[in-house]
Amino acid sequence: MDKAGSFSGGRRYTNGEITVYWKPDACVHASHCYRELIDVFDPGRRPWVDMYGASTGQIIETVNMCPTEALAWKWNEEEKNKTIDADQTNHINFRRPELMGSGDDTPEEKPATVKVMPDGPLVISGSFTMHYSGNKKEVNDSIISLCRCGSSNHMPFCDGAHRKVEFNDK
Amino acid sequence: MINDPAMEDKKEFKSQATIEIIDNGPIKITGRILIRDSKRDITDNPEEVYLCRCGRSQNKPYCDESHKK
Ligand code: FES
Ligand code: FES
Repeated sequence: MDKAGSFSGGRRYTNGEITVYWKPDACVHASHCYRELIDVFDPGRRPWVDMYGASTGQIIETVNMCPTEALAWKWNEEEKNKTIDADQTNHINFRRPELMGSGDDTPEEKPATVKVMPDGPLVISGSFTMHYSGNKKEVNDSIISLCRCGSSNHMPFCDGAHRKVEFNDK
Repeated sequence: MINDPAMEDKKEFKSQATIEIIDNGPIKITGRILIRDSKRDITDNPEEVYLCRCGRSQNKPYCDESHKK
């Protein structure tokens, strides 16, 4: 079985709205992608594509700058892929027609994101399984805040107490 | 079909990480995660990590066992 997130010849990434396909052996290192949008395309990071680093519109615009088929994109809603203007140069219809209607729709694995708020809680977003004091909870594509200051009255969640105790996360 | 929200939800659900709140201890996170700490300029995707929730670690955001003292 193919690992989710891979497809033959590369990887794919999604933010739920669009999917970006990456075909490493087609890249000529023109570097438009990371010069335009380092928050999304960061060759120094693993995974190097973070689909939540910018808006869908910005990502599409940047992918369209790629002079090769190394980066291509499509709407996840298949209907929308049927009416694509020719100026969307890197839509799969133009760059990777073999992927059109491939039905290759398994949602890409997106990592759960853990944000460490300065002097505040941990904000965790995505889909994950949580275990606390004997309970198990599936959290589906949502956001929770977990206390990091040790003073919440609603452990394990943040209840704002970090402000009262002036938690300084030095 | 794509316009059936209930089905769409099921299809989308995929737990990527496991978050375990350890009693009187840290938060253990395993799986596919991305950690961002803007204060310390950390971006990391470890397979397993222990994050301090007692507020006393000298190596925040990580647990350094200070919670035991
Ligand atoms: S971090 Fe908010 S209450 Fe502890
Ligand atoms: S939870 Fe271990 S040092 Fe804070």
